[in-house]
Amino acid sequence: MSQFWNAWNKRKDRLRNQTLEQHANKSMDSVKDSPVTSVLEDNIVLIEQQFGKSDDLVVRRFQITTGKDAAVIFLDGMVDRNVISDFVIRSLTTENVTYLSPASNELETTNQLRQIVRNILSGNSVLFIDGSTEVYLINSRGWDRRSVMEPQTESVVRGPRDGFTETLSVNAALIRFRLKDPNLRVKHLIVGQRTQTDVFVMHIDGVAHPPIVEEVIRRIENLNLDAILETGYIEQMIQDHRYSPFPQIQNTERPDKIVANLLEGKVAILVDGTPFVLIAPAVLSQFYQSPEDYYERFYIASLIRFIRVISILIALLLPSLYIAFSSFHPEMIPSRLVIAMAAGRSTVPFPSLVEAMFMEIAIEILREASVRLPGPIGPTIGIVGALVVGEAAVSAGLVSPVMVIIVAVTTIGSFASPSYSAAIAIRMLRFPVMFMAGLFGLYGIMLFIIVMLVHLSSIKSFGVPYLSPISPLNLKGMRDLFLRFPHHLMKLRPSMFRVHDKIRMREDDQS
Amino acid sequence: MKRQDNGTPRYGFTTWQQTCLITSTLIGVGVLTLPRTSSSRLLEAGWMAPLVGSLGAYISIWMIAKLSRRFPGMTFVEYSPLVWASKESPKLGKLLSIPWIFVYLSFIYVATGMVSRIFGEVVVTSVLLNTPLEVIMITMFLLAFFLSLHDVDVVARVNEILFPLIIFPVLFIAIASFQKADWSYLFPLIRVSGKSIFEGAYEAVYSFSGFEIMLIFYAFTQHNSGKEKAGFVGILMTMVVYTLIVVAGITVFGYEELQRLTWPTLELVKTTQVPGLILERLESAFLAVWVAAVFTTVANAYYAVIYGLRQCFNKGMVFQRIASAFLFIPLFFIALIPQNIVEIFQISSYIGIGNLVLNLGVPTIYWIVLFLRGKAGIPKERKADG
Repeated sequence: MSQFWNAWNKRKDRLRNQTLEQHANKSMDSVKDSPVTSVLEDNIVLIEQQFGKSDDLVVRRFQITTGKDAAVIFLDGMVDRNVISDFVIRSLTTENVTYLSPASNELETTNQLRQIVRNILSGNSVLFIDGSTEVYLINSRGWDRRSVMEPQTESVVRGPRDGFTETLSVNAALIRFRLKDPNLRVKHLIVGQRTQTDVFVMHIDGVAHPPIVEEVIRRIENLNLDAILETGYIEQMIQDHRYSPFPQIQNTERPDKIVANLLEGKVAILVDGTPFVLIAPAVLSQFYQSPEDYYERFYIASLIRFIRVISILIALLLPSLYIAFSSFHPEMIPSRLVIAMAAGRSTVPFPSLVEAMFMEIAIEILREASVRLPGPIGPTIGIVGALVVGEAAVSAGLVSPVMVIIVAVTTIGSFASPSYSAAIAIRMLRFPVMFMAGLFGLYGIMLFIIVMLVHLSSIKSFGVPYLSPISPLNLKGMRDLFLRFPHHLMKLRPSMFRVHDKIRMREDDQS
Repeated sequence: MKRQDNGTPRYGFTTWQQTCLITSTLIGVGVLTLPRTSSSRLLEAGWMAPLVGSLGAYISIWMIAKLSRRFPGMTFVEYSPLVWASKESPKLGKLLSIPWIFVYLSFIYVATGMVSRIFGEVVVTSVLLNTPLEVIMITMFLLAFFLSLHDVDVVARVNEILFPLIIFPVLFIAIASFQKADWSYLFPLIRVSGKSIFEGAYEAVYSFSGFEIMLIFYAFTQHNSGKEKAGFVGILMTMVVYTLIVVAGITVFGYEELQRLTWPTLELVKTTQVPGLILERLESAFLAVWVAAVFTTVANAYYAVIYGLRQCFNKGMVFQRIASAFLFIPLFFIALIPQNIVEIFQISSYIGIGNLVLNLGVPTIYWIVLFLRGKAGIPKERKADG
C-alpha cells in the first residue's frame, strides 16, 4: 500500500513540477504531447493541472448507462450548454448505448494531451470515460457572436451589405457562399504561442501563383509572436518593407472585395476574432479602388475613380501648395486672387507654414476626438468644432480665410479614399511635404515627390512591384488603373500577380 | 532594414524601361539652353542642330548596344577585361581595361557635377532667389544618394514612373507656345552651308550626352534583343522633343533675340498662358516639374558611376551605399570650380564634344579589338531568359 502512496506522491510531484514549468513558459508548446491514461481521475487531475485550476474550467461527472464513470470537461461560456446537457450527458446517461457515441453532430477521438487542451481552449468539450484511453472531442462551440452586419469602414451605395464578423467560420462561409468553386483552397494555420489564433489562408488553385501562396504561408508560419489579436499584427509582420509608411497588404471588411481579389490571383488571410481580412499582395492602385467601381457602369465608375485619385492628391499636396504659392511663388496666383489672399492674410502674424501647421494640427485633433466621442454627439461636436473654431480663428486674425477652405478641402479629400490604411498614410505624409514646401517652395514639394516615388518604386509586395501596372508598364493592366474599362474589354486577369488561368472571360461564355 | 523578399524573382529591365532610362537621362539641363545654343551658328535653321547632333548618338548607342549583346548580362566594367585579353589572363585584361573604365567613369562623374551645377544656377537665378546655390546642389545630391541606396531595378522603375513627368511638361510648353509663333522666323529654310550645319550641330551635342550610362545598364535587360531598338527610340524621342522646343524658341523669339536669353526655354515658359488662368505664371511650376528631369540625369549617371566602381572592386551593396555617400563630397567641389555661368557653358560645351569623341571612340576601339581577336560574334539568345 505504501508503495502505491509513494508512487502516487511522486506522480503528484511530477505534475506539480510540470505546472511550475508551465508558469515559466505557459505557451501551448510547453504542454507535453503525451497520451493520456485510462484512469478517469488521473486524467481529470492532469487537465486541471494544465489549466492551473482555473475556475471557469467545468468538470461534470456522471455515470453512463454501462455503469462506467465519465466526465465532460469544458470552459464555461465558450460552449453551448444545451449541446452538453441534451446531447452529451442526457444521451449517455439515459439511452442504452452499446457503442459509445454521444449524439453530437461532430465527434473526434484522440488520446493526445496537447490536442485535448487545445480543443478545450477553442470551445470544444472533452469526454473522458473511465477505463478508456480514447477521449472524445465534441464540437460544442457556442459563444455569443456578432451577426453579419453592414461594414462600418467601407460603405458603398450599390453593392452587398454584408460584412465580415469576428468569427472565422462565418467569414469563411461568406466567401464560400459567393465563390462556389471547388478550387478555392483553405489552409488552416495556428499562430500566436499564447493566443493560438486560427488563421485561414485562402487562394484559388489554378489562378493564384503558387510561389506567392507558399511565400504567404511561409511568412505566417515563421511568425513567432505570442499574440495575434487582429490582422494588423500579421500584416505588419509579414509585409516586405516594415518601415514603409505605405500599406503593402490591403485589409477589408467586405466579402465581395475578397472574392474579387481572390479571382485576381491574390491570397486572402482570415484571422479569427476580427472582421478585417487581409489581401496580399497589394499594389498601390488597389487603395483607391472600391468594389462599387465594378458594379456601376464604367463611365461613372471611371469618373469616380478619377475623382478619388484627385482627392488623394489634394489630401497630400494642397496645404503644401498653399504654403509654396503664398510664401515663394505669389506670382503664380492670379493677381486678383493674390490681392484678396494678401488682404485676408494681412492680420495673420505668422508665416504661412506656421499658419498651415496650426490649422492642420487643429483639424487632426478634431478628427481624432470625433472618433473617440460617444456615438451620437461625435459628428455634432466635429461640425461645431470645425465651424466655430474656424470662424473664430479667422475673425481673431489667427488664420486667413483661404487657409480654412484649404484645411476643410484637404480633410474631406482624405476621406474620399476607400481604404482607411492608405488614407492615414497620406494624412501623415502631408506634414513632411508641408515642411519641404516651407523650406523650398514648389522645389521642395517636388523633392518630396521624387523621394516618395523612389521609395514607392523600391517597394515590392510579395514580389509584385508596388507601382505596377505603371512601372513596370503593363498596358493591359492599365485598363483597370485610373479608368475602369467596360467588363467585356477586361477579358484577362491582371497579369502583374502572375495568375495562371489568365482568361477571365472565355469567348464561348460571352452571350 | 530587413527585407523579406527572398525567393522572389528579379525583374529585368523591359525594353520600355530602357527607352525611358535613355530618354530621361538625355533630357536634362540641356533643354533649357538648347534653343540658344543650337541657333547660335545655324541661325534660323537652328532646328536642324538636334537632328544632326543626334547622329553621333545613334551610331554610338548602336555600338554600345551591340557590345552589350556580345556580352549579355555584363556591364562595361565586366566585359572590358574580356575584350582586351583572353579569359586565361584576367590580370592582363584588367590592367588593359582600367584606363578605359577610369576615363569613362570619371567623365560621367564630372558631367554629373556639371549638370547639378547648371541646375543649381537655374533654380537660384529664377525661382529661389534667396536660397544659396550650394543648398540646391546638396539637395539634388541627396536625392541621387537616396536612389543609389536601392537596387538597380529600382532605377529602371523610377525612370519609368518619372518619364511622363519629364516628357509632358516640355511637350506642353513647346506646343502651347506655338500660339505666339511667327513662322516666318524659320525662313529662309536653308541659308547656311553644309559645313556650318555640322559646326552648329556641335552645340547641340552636349544635350545628347548621358546615354553612355547604358554601358552599365544594358547588362540588366530582360531579353538580349531589343537593346538597339530601345536606344534608337530613346534618342528619337529626345530628338523630337528637342526639335520641337528649338522650333518653338525660334518661332516665338527669332534667332537674334534668342542669343540674348540665358535660359530661352524658361522664357518660353513665361510667355505661355494657361487656359482659364488658374495659374498666372508657369515658370516656377515648370522648374519644379523639371526637377524630375534633372534628377533622372544626375541620379542615373551617378548610379552608373557607383555601380561601375562597385564592380571594379567586386564589392556588394554595402560598398555601393557607403561609396555613394562619400563620392558626393569631391563631386560637390568639382561642381563649384567654374566661377560663373559663362565658364559653365564653356565647360559643358567641352563636355559635349569630349563625350561625343568618347562615345564614338571607345566602342569603335572595342569593336576593332574584338574583330582583330576574332571574337565579334554575338551569341544567339536563349529562349529561356533569366
